[in-house]
Amino acid sequence: MNVTWLLAWRNLWRHSRRTWLTVGAMVFSNVLLVFLISLQLGSYQMMIDNSLAAFSGHIQIQHRNYLDDRKIYQVVPGAAGLAGRVREQLGVDSVAARAEAFALASSEQRSFGILLTGVQPQREPLVSTFPGLLRQGRYLEEGGAEEIVVGAVLAENLKVGPGDEVTFLGSGRDGSFAAAIATVVGIVETGIEEVDRGIAQVPLAWFQEVFTMGDAGHSVVIRLPSLDRVEGAVARLEAMLADQPELVVLDWDALQPGLRQAIASDMASAWFMYGVLLLLVAFSVLNTQLMSVLERTREFGVMLALGMRPGGLARLVGMETLLLAGLGLVLGVLLGALLTWYLSHTGFTYPGMDEMAAKFNLPGRMYPKISLLSLLVGPALVFVGAMLAALYPALRLLRLQPVAAMRAA
Amino acid sequence: MSAIVCRDLCRTYHQGEAVITALDHVSLEMDEGAFACLSGPSGSGKTTLLNVMGGLDTPDSGEIEVAGRRVDQLSRSERADMRLHTIGFVFQSYNLIPVLSARENVEFVMQVQGVPARQRRALADQVLAEVGLAGMEDRRPGELSGGQQQRVAVARAIASKPALVLADEPTANLDTRSAAQLMDLFVALNRDRGVTFVLSTHDVRVMGYARRLIRMRDGRIVGDEQQEPHPMKVE
Amino acid sequence: MRGSLAAIATLAWRNLWRNHRRTLVMLLAITVGVWAMIFMAALMRGMTDQMVRNGLETLPGEVQIHHPDFRQDPSVVNSMAPPSGPLLRALQEPPVAAWSARVRVPAVIASERESRGVTLLGVDPAAEEAIGAAPGEIVAGRFLADGDDRGLVIGASLARRLETELGKRVVIMSQDPDNNVAERGARIVGVYRARFEDTEERFVYGGRTAVQEMLGIGARVTEVALTANDYRHTGDWYPRIAAAAGDGLEVLPWTELNSYLGAMLALQDGFSLVFMVVIFLSLSFGLVNTLVMAVFERIREIGLMQALGMRPGLILAQVLLESLYLLCLGLLAGNVLAVASIKPLEAGIDISGVAEGMAMMGMGTTLYPALSTWDMAMSTLVVVILGLLASILPAWRAARLDPVVALNKT
Repeated sequence: MNVTWLLAWRNLWRHSRRTWLTVGAMVFSNVLLVFLISLQLGSYQMMIDNSLAAFSGHIQIQHRNYLDDRKIYQVVPGAAGLAGRVREQLGVDSVAARAEAFALASSEQRSFGILLTGVQPQREPLVSTFPGLLRQGRYLEEGGAEEIVVGAVLAENLKVGPGDEVTFLGSGRDGSFAAAIATVVGIVETGIEEVDRGIAQVPLAWFQEVFTMGDAGHSVVIRLPSLDRVEGAVARLEAMLADQPELVVLDWDALQPGLRQAIASDMASAWFMYGVLLLLVAFSVLNTQLMSVLERTREFGVMLALGMRPGGLARLVGMETLLLAGLGLVLGVLLGALLTWYLSHTGFTYPGMDEMAAKFNLPGRMYPKISLLSLLVGPALVFVGAMLAALYPALRLLRLQPVAAMRAA
Repeated sequence: MSAIVCRDLCRTYHQGEAVITALDHVSLEMDEGAFACLSGPSGSGKTTLLNVMGGLDTPDSGEIEVAGRRVDQLSRSERADMRLHTIGFVFQSYNLIPVLSARENVEFVMQVQGVPARQRRALADQVLAEVGLAGMEDRRPGELSGGQQQRVAVARAIASKPALVLADEPTANLDTRSAAQLMDLFVALNRDRGVTFVLSTHDVRVMGYARRLIRMRDGRIVGDEQQEPHPMKVE
Repeated sequence: MRGSLAAIATLAWRNLWRNHRRTLVMLLAITVGVWAMIFMAALMRGMTDQMVRNGLETLPGEVQIHHPDFRQDPSVVNSMAPPSGPLLRALQEPPVAAWSARVRVPAVIASERESRGVTLLGVDPAAEEAIGAAPGEIVAGRFLADGDDRGLVIGASLARRLETELGKRVVIMSQDPDNNVAERGARIVGVYRARFEDTEERFVYGGRTAVQEMLGIGARVTEVALTANDYRHTGDWYPRIAAAAGDGLEVLPWTELNSYLGAMLALQDGFSLVFMVVIFLSLSFGLVNTLVMAVFERIREIGLMQALGMRPGLILAQVLLESLYLLCLGLLAGNVLAVASIKPLEAGIDISGVAEGMAMMGMGTTLYPALSTWDMAMSTLVVVILGLLASILPAWRAARLDPVVALNKT
């Protein structure tokens, strides 16, 4: 090892308690940052995945006005056929056509206004998690008709179970009166009350018949294996649909604008906290390095007198800080990774978190997700903050006069 | 009555592997109003003996009685109280609290004792005048010379009217003139106030002021004699 | 004892400024920490306040009385007689500030072109205003005149969806207690705007008597909503209402009616405290460091004080006092900074850029930070208590120093 490095390292341990306390401050912040950022990124990912996987998918093709104004006549013509073309174009199976209409649903005892969705029974489970959350009965079957799957809360409100009949009253695409009777075949329960009150799915073909839709639907839903494929897929679909200007390709951000913003606002408040932590660590380092420089004034004076340049002294302090911050970085990342890794296996919860989490399609138990980014981003910032904090004490040394310094008490 | 009684005091220190015998079966009796000097080379046990007398240090074995109380049987806090009320210390250096002025340093002990403010202040000014520091009451230790600092320490030691003043090499850091002045002050206080003084020193001139000279070597008392004081002459 | 405390009070204060650079850096750190604690708490409190208020607006009221089955099965079948006897008397006494007996049933509203599922509210407009549940802003027409009003008031967004407007006729359908479809044509007499589109699309207001007539339920209602204008202390008084209502009715506070809101409120204080403690912990290293160094530099002096007869307890107190001065100065500066930075923001911070995200949480487009003495007190307690706890170790070490060793320290 270079002599200067050796000197810097030895100097660090002249006040070992002080050094450990400063390293401790860094390690504390680093562990916290690694944990929080892992948790944050993990939960955002989960929030997006869960929200999109629930129903909306990553991309939808709709009539250009449908998103703002859900009118039954703003349709995607030949929806099922279009879904097939999209599957070929993108090379993914998880594409499904849907149609929606408001209707009054009545059982023997109760009536409710609902949003009825026509789905492709074989395709729908590929784009949405709802079909997988059956509590009772079975999901819709391909070629089936006059069948309906409802959410658990809706079933309760309507007082129906599998085998019971539900009547719909609504208006068709052409404004005609639409009425039909379907038998409840399954009940879906997501555990989120609002969702369970809203689910009512029937086979698309039958829906098209009842609501005089012809072969039209309202959306083609596409679920992709991962978020980063969205952009490319949107571009390809837009090219494919260039000859159909009445249709638009909407990505998840357009479909659920709240999601990105909720993440953005959560990000903002999280970074406020990180900023404060960073600043406090920087103060800690500043204090330590300033003290260590001040108490060595006399010694530095001697070194200057022996012919060392002021820049050399500043560099020495810089090296000491580098070693100090490096120690904080390594220990912080290690301990942070250990804690986060442990919690990513066991998960953890916080009283009251269930209700919060459900609002964002998250489970009540949180699992942080370790990645290189989440491991290094916080500690790297702390490292930089520590180095910046040492600038002032180091630069002070450039103005040091050897004689005055040697006389200092 | 005896001011101090030591019976068979032993005290050893461990310094790394080495065992240092600082007190080796020391027995000693000191009358009230005595002016005694412990002398001997460094490492002979003078400071340890003073520290044991003042309750700063505890003997490994043996008994020590100060003003009729068994110091070796007191708790930490009781020993602190004993120092507060009956003993005044004067050290070689670093005697004063740097952030307090001369007067505040003198007042400090009295304040801890609970002496009312007005009385405290008057007394502090009086003893400071007595040690020749009138007009310097508001100076901080950094603004006083070594000799002046030692005199502030003496003023503080006697302000609370202790029965016993223990001074460990009080003149070691002083020039001859200041040392002589300090010793004259001790003699005067011993004479006028009847305070018992025990000093440690290896300075022959300081030993000359004592009426009793105790010589120590290797933790043992090797000589103990009464003498006619013969103060140094300073010009 | 008083004398000795006075003696160390001066001493600790002067010692604090011996190394003024170190003290100032630490002071700055504490100030920033305290500021962050209070600032963050004010933001969180502002957010929760708004969420809860928004939530209560649509709930509405802080306490609701229902038929025991109504919440499970929100049908007109599960209606209740209007309040009378002891319940009526309880509703007319403080702390209840206002109450409204309402009919709330699921319904379908149809224009010439479209139909939508909605919640029909049969209300007495005066009572509805009194509990703060009437629409905030009427953008066209008027609100209901009285309980006999036969018109309907709908949200602006719903009007757009239905392609209808003020003065047009719509058909409202629900079911009567015998499960027959009850329907009635009505004219739109008012259009309101609410904070959230969701609210506008969901609630349709009609005169209570007119709705009761259509449903054929006589004078019966489905819920009674009441308010005391203090949502944070509902738990204190609602049991009395429950007692007056008797066993036949379910009386619930908002925290149970909307568990999300309840959880938010509970979480807010908890989160604020966790945030404060975390910030403090990151401060504590610097604090302990400062004290350890301060003690280290003064070992000789501490030995001297011991020699002068200061009890170990007094030495301990002196270091703690020095730490307390530092903490209190930092608290003072931090609080002043927090007040100075939050006051100008109380008029509201525009967060419309993330409005839809905030709407998911039940927030509006403006965030009003709420400076609260409670948060300031909580941060002060956290800093003082944890600060002194953190200082105990260096103080204890100072008090336990061996005077002989301390005096010989070079």
